[in-house]
Amino acid sequence: MLLAPSKPFLRNRVKEVIMDLILQATVNGILMGSIYGLTALGLTLIFGVIKVINFAHGSLLMVGMYTAYWLILLTGINPYLALIVVVPLLFFFGYYMQEIVIKPVFKAERDVREPITVIIVTTGVWYVLDNLSLILFGAEYRVVKTSLSGKTFLLGELIVSTPKFYGFVATIVTAVLLYWFLKKTRMGKAIMATSFDRDAASLMGINQYRIYNIAFGIGTATAGVAGCVLIPFYYVFPTVGVIFDIRCFIIVVLGGLGSIHGAVLGGIIIGVIESVFAQFMASTWTEGIIYAIFILILFIKPSGLFGARQDW
Amino acid sequence: MKIGLNRKATNYLLLFLAIIFVFILPLFLKSPTYLQIMILLFFYAYLTTSWNLVGGFAGVLPLGHSAFVGIGAYTSTILYLHYGLSPWIGMFAGGLLAALVGVIIGKPTFQMRGAYFALTTIAIGEGIRVMVENINKIGPFTVNGPRGLLIPLTGTSFVNFQFLSKIPYYYIILTMLIIVLGITYIISRRRIGYYLAGGGEEPEAAQALGVNVAKYKLIAMAISCFLTALAGTFYAQLMLYFYPKGILGLDLSFEIAFIALIGGRGTIAGPILGALVLRPVNEFSRIYLSGFLPGLHLVIFGLILIIVMIYLPRGLQEPLSKVYNWFADKLVASFSFKGAEKG
Repeated sequence: MLLAPSKPFLRNRVKEVIMDLILQATVNGILMGSIYGLTALGLTLIFGVIKVINFAHGSLLMVGMYTAYWLILLTGINPYLALIVVVPLLFFFGYYMQEIVIKPVFKAERDVREPITVIIVTTGVWYVLDNLSLILFGAEYRVVKTSLSGKTFLLGELIVSTPKFYGFVATIVTAVLLYWFLKKTRMGKAIMATSFDRDAASLMGINQYRIYNIAFGIGTATAGVAGCVLIPFYYVFPTVGVIFDIRCFIIVVLGGLGSIHGAVLGGIIIGVIESVFAQFMASTWTEGIIYAIFILILFIKPSGLFGARQDW
Repeated sequence: MKIGLNRKATNYLLLFLAIIFVFILPLFLKSPTYLQIMILLFFYAYLTTSWNLVGGFAGVLPLGHSAFVGIGAYTSTILYLHYGLSPWIGMFAGGLLAALVGVIIGKPTFQMRGAYFALTTIAIGEGIRVMVENINKIGPFTVNGPRGLLIPLTGTSFVNFQFLSKIPYYYIILTMLIIVLGITYIISRRRIGYYLAGGGEEPEAAQALGVNVAKYKLIAMAISCFLTALAGTFYAQLMLYFYPKGILGLDLSFEIAFIALIGGRGTIAGPILGALVLRPVNEFSRIYLSGFLPGLHLVIFGLILIIVMIYLPRGLQEPLSKVYNWFADKLVASFSFKGAEKG
């Protein structure tokens, strides 16, 4: 009878503790969820432009995390300074991956709106990348100690993890930058045009395959940002991408495929659900709840919260 | 008189020879290891052929078929452990349950297209795995969560679907494979096959012609799930132990889809060719290379997948059927020549 004490002041105290617990879990959920959103940004951009679910996205995040890991371990620089190296590197990685592996398949299936073969090729890339890193780095979980690891600060009565908070900030900054890039720059406008109608964009003189390469590069670069942000408080191992992969799919569908603010908000929603439900039940069940929500959304509103109504 | 071979007769003759060959193979293949490799090869060919009914003919990409393998294995094993029901009967109970689940899942999901369908099937498959991993008991039935189920050894007994030698398993899965190939052949030649192909390629056009695409997709899904679940029981009885990550996991679902896509989806020979190419790569690199290069077989897997998709989007069956046709033509030509001489 621990939860139902007879004395009123005790009952109030229990209520307070539970409220605190939920509040704390919500804050943690928002922070972690925003980082899920950050990983989903690239996926949603790639889908929006190329209309392909990139199954290798988690593996690209894994590549980003390993790059950041080795860079920080070997040079000892600040994890956020590592962004300067990791982001361009990952951009070119994605750019050339699209150019070499995905473009040929795409050209063969030009008239299909959503080429299934391309999905399969990205799955092949996922298998190759994950297992190459298993061969190269082994299966062990790696952690790098940075100046931020384990740091916290107090926000009122709530304990906030510093690296997660920076991750939250990085998510907002990345999302805003991406928005600005897509709406205001010439290249961004070309990307938007291609995503609306690739044939019409081609007729306007936009080289759609170059746009695909760049979109893929940017998507991969955001995975690199997520990788750097995760390093101070997360561990790296070859299949780390799979954890984020499935969550990213769910977030992207929840927020609406192709929507940037949808990805960030969807990530935060998933993060909060995961973290709050984990206070009341075995954390292995929360995964099941997320799948259930995902399937419900697909059946009730397949276009997601912020997605445009499309014919797929 | 001219004693010649026409093309059709050659096809039947070669098919007959191939069947004779696989039936007498265990006489020469004494090592249980190689027999096991052959059994698993047929097992994957069987699974992929069942998958192909939906993934190939109906033109969608289901990536959660391991759920039905798991339903088959769990149903027959739970019934056997609790009521002593022979797995041969439990097999069909599992099949019917899987078909029911397949129809329930298929009804809303077949309205979706491409990426959404693939993602939904993944979510449902993974959702079922998470559920099974978190449940220890449903009512009186022990599910045993992530630890999986162990089938007690009873020695060779046909009723219990247990044999100490590998050879009975070999013939059982071989018979199952031949039956499922027969079913696929019949479906592809009947009206339902054409409806499915039409609905897969051009749903709007097929609907405009009055084909109830959704209905035929559901029928294909039910048959496919039923057949997949039978293989689940077979796997449980072959290994006598299974656990959710292995039998309900994403890896199995993906492997089935990969074999079909590499072999050639929507064709009868595709799954067999895919299994013939991929399974040995998988088994031998696992045996000989995984000691010092873990995961190499999956790198090879991925590379084969990428290369085949880039250069042969219709799978390996395309060039190989050309080779086969050339060979059969040669055979016909040389035999008719000899026949003419005799006459």
